Amino acid sequence: MLEQQLINGLTLGLIYALIAVGYTMVYGVIQLINFAHGEIYMLGAFFCVTFITAAGLPFYAAIVMAMLCCALCGIVLDIVAYRPLRKAPRLAALITAIGMSIFLQNLALVIWGSRSRPFPRAALPPYLGEKALIVGGVSLTWLQLFIFAVAVAMMVALSLIIRKTRIGTAMRALAQNRTAAALMGININFVISFTFALGSAMGAVAGVLVSVFYNTLYPTMGYTAGVKAFAAAVLGGIGSVPGAMAGGIVLGVAEALGAGYLSSLYRDGIAYAVMIAVIILRPSGILGRSVIDKA
Amino acid sequence: MNKGKKALLLVTGLALLVYPVLPFSSDYVLHVMTLAMVYMILAMGLNIVPGFCGLLDLGYVGFYGLGAYAAGLLTIHYGLSFWVIVPLAALNGAIWGTLLGAPTLRLTGDYFAIVTFGFSELVVLFLTNEIWLTRGPLGLPGIQPITLDFSWLHPAWYFEFYEKAPNFYLAAVMVALIYFVMGRMEDSRLGRAWYAIREDPLAAASCGVNILNYKVIAFAISAGIGGVGGCFYARWSMFLSPDMFKFWESFLVLCMVVLGGLGNIKGALVGAAILVCLGEVLREVLTAFGLPPETRFMAYGLIMVLIMRFKPSGFFPAIASSSRSSRLLETLQKRIAADAYSREDDRGAAA
Repeated sequence: MLEQQLINGLTLGLIYALIAVGYTMVYGVIQLINFAHGEIYMLGAFFCVTFITAAGLPFYAAIVMAMLCCALCGIVLDIVAYRPLRKAPRLAALITAIGMSIFLQNLALVIWGSRSRPFPRAALPPYLGEKALIVGGVSLTWLQLFIFAVAVAMMVALSLIIRKTRIGTAMRALAQNRTAAALMGININFVISFTFALGSAMGAVAGVLVSVFYNTLYPTMGYTAGVKAFAAAVLGGIGSVPGAMAGGIVLGVAEALGAGYLSSLYRDGIAYAVMIAVIILRPSGILGRSVIDKA
Repeated sequence: MNKGKKALLLVTGLALLVYPVLPFSSDYVLHVMTLAMVYMILAMGLNIVPGFCGLLDLGYVGFYGLGAYAAGLLTIHYGLSFWVIVPLAALNGAIWGTLLGAPTLRLTGDYFAIVTFGFSELVVLFLTNEIWLTRGPLGLPGIQPITLDFSWLHPAWYFEFYEKAPNFYLAAVMVALIYFVMGRMEDSRLGRAWYAIREDPLAAASCGVNILNYKVIAFAISAGIGGVGGCFYARWSMFLSPDMFKFWESFLVLCMVVLGGLGNIKGALVGAAILVCLGEVLREVLTAFGLPPETRFMAYGLIMVLIMRFKPSGFFPAIASSSRSSRLLETLQKRIAADAYSREDDRGAAA
C-alpha cells in the first residue's frame, strides 16, 4: 500500500514539477507570479483533445501541436498583458496576471462548456492502458512509465537548454540583472517571450498527462493544479529550476501519502498547508535564495 | 466637485434612502441594493490592503467566510444578539489576520498574495469537510434574523428584521460608518504611513515607519471588516454554505476595488455598486445564452487587465486633492518610480 501511494505520488509530483518550472522560470526572469500559467496547462489538455477529436491527429502529434499552441499562447500572453506593465508597480502586474487567469479560464468555459469530459481513450496507443509490471502488490502501468519518461526527458532537456545554450545563458543573465543584461546586447523582450514559451510548452505537456492519467479534463482544472504547482515552486525555492522539480516531487508524494493516511477530504488542503508552512518557516525554500523584503 | 454635481449626488442618495418606504418599492431591488452594500463593506475593507498598502490580498473571502460562519454558529447555538456578534466577528477576523499576516508580511508581496489565497482555500475546505460543525456542503440554514431589543424600555419595542427595509437601512448605516472610519483612517498617521509604505518602503522605513507593524495592522483591520461584512451577511441571508466563499468572491471584491481605483474609498463604493448590478444583469443575459453565470468573470478578468493597462487609478479616480494634482509632484513620483525600478534590478544582482 505504501509503495503504491509512493508511486502514485511520484507520478503526480513529476507532473506538478512540469508545471512548477513554468512558474519558477518566469519568476526568475521578470519576478512575476504568472497566475495564468495554470490556465495554460488547462489549455494544453483541451488543445490536445481538440486536435485528436477535431483534426484526427494521432496522440503524439497532438501533444506536440498542443505544446506549440500553448507556447504561442504564452508568448501572446506576455506581449499583450505583461509587456506593457514592465515598468509599472508590481501590484499592477499581479492584478493583471489574476485577471488574465480568470479570463482564460472562463473563455475555455464558454468554448468547451463547463462539464468535464473524458480523454478520448481510443486515440491512445493501446499499450498505455496495460499493466507494465507488478512487483509485490505494486502495479505500474505503461501510462505511468510513459509519464515518468516524458517528465524526466522534458526536465533534462530544459536543464540542457538553460545550462548549455546561448538563450539559456541569456535567461540566466536576465534573472541576475536585467539592466546589465540589456547593456550586454541581450534582447530582453525576446528572451522573456522565449521563457514564457518554454514554460507554457512544459505546462501543456503536464496538462495532457494529467488528463490522460485521470481520464478527465474540465476548464477549471488549471486553478487547483496551478496553485499546487506554485506551492511546489515555492517549496523548492522560487526562481530555482532544480528546486521546482524537487518541490513538485516532494509535494506530489506528500499529497498522495496525506490523502492515503490522513484524510482524503483534505487532499487539496495538504498542498496549501505545505505551502503556507514553507512560506512562513523557510521562505527561501529548499534550494532558493533569500526573499525577505529588504526595504 | 462643483455645486451641481454635489446637489445631484445628494438627491440621488436621498432618493435611494427613501426608496424602501415607497409603496412601489420591490423586494428584488431592495435585495440587490442590500447585497451591493454588503459588497461595499467588503470592498472598503479589502481596499486597505491593496489600495493603501500596495499588497495583493487574494484571500479576502476567507475572513468574510469565517465571520459569516462564526456569526451563524453563535446565533444558532448560543442565540447571541447581532450587536454582540459584530464586535466578536470583527475581533475574530482581526486575530486571524494578525496570525496570518505577522509571519508572511515580512516577505515580498507576491508571497503574501499566495498565502492569502491558500488561506481562503483552506477555509473553504474546512467549512466543507467539518460536517459536525458546519454541516458541510448542506449549508447552515435557520439563522435567526437580526433583532433589535428595547423591551426593557418599553415592552412593545422588540423588532425582528424579517422585512427587507430594516436590513437595508442597517446596511446603509454600516456602510456609512465604515466609510467614515475609513476616511478618518486615511487622513491619520496610520493612513499616511500606509501610503508611504506603498509609494516607497525604503523611504518610509528611513522616516521611522515600522513597515511590518503597519502592514499587519492594515491586514488585521481589513480582515476585521471582512468579518463584520460576513456577520451581517449571515444574519441577513439566514443561510450559509461553503460555496458562497470560494475564490470567485475574493476576485469579485478585488475587481470592485480595482474598478473604482486602488486606494480610493469612494471608488470602492462605486465599484461595488456597478459590479453587483452588472452581475444581476449578466445573470439574466448569460442564462439566456445558456452559459453558466460564472462566465461573467470573463468580462471581469478583462476589465481588470484593461484597467491596469490603461487606467491604473481606476475609473473613478480620487477627487484631486491639492497634493495629488500637482504636476511637479507627478513628475517627481514618476522619477522615484523609475528609480525604484532600477534599484530592484540592482537588488537582484546583489542576491
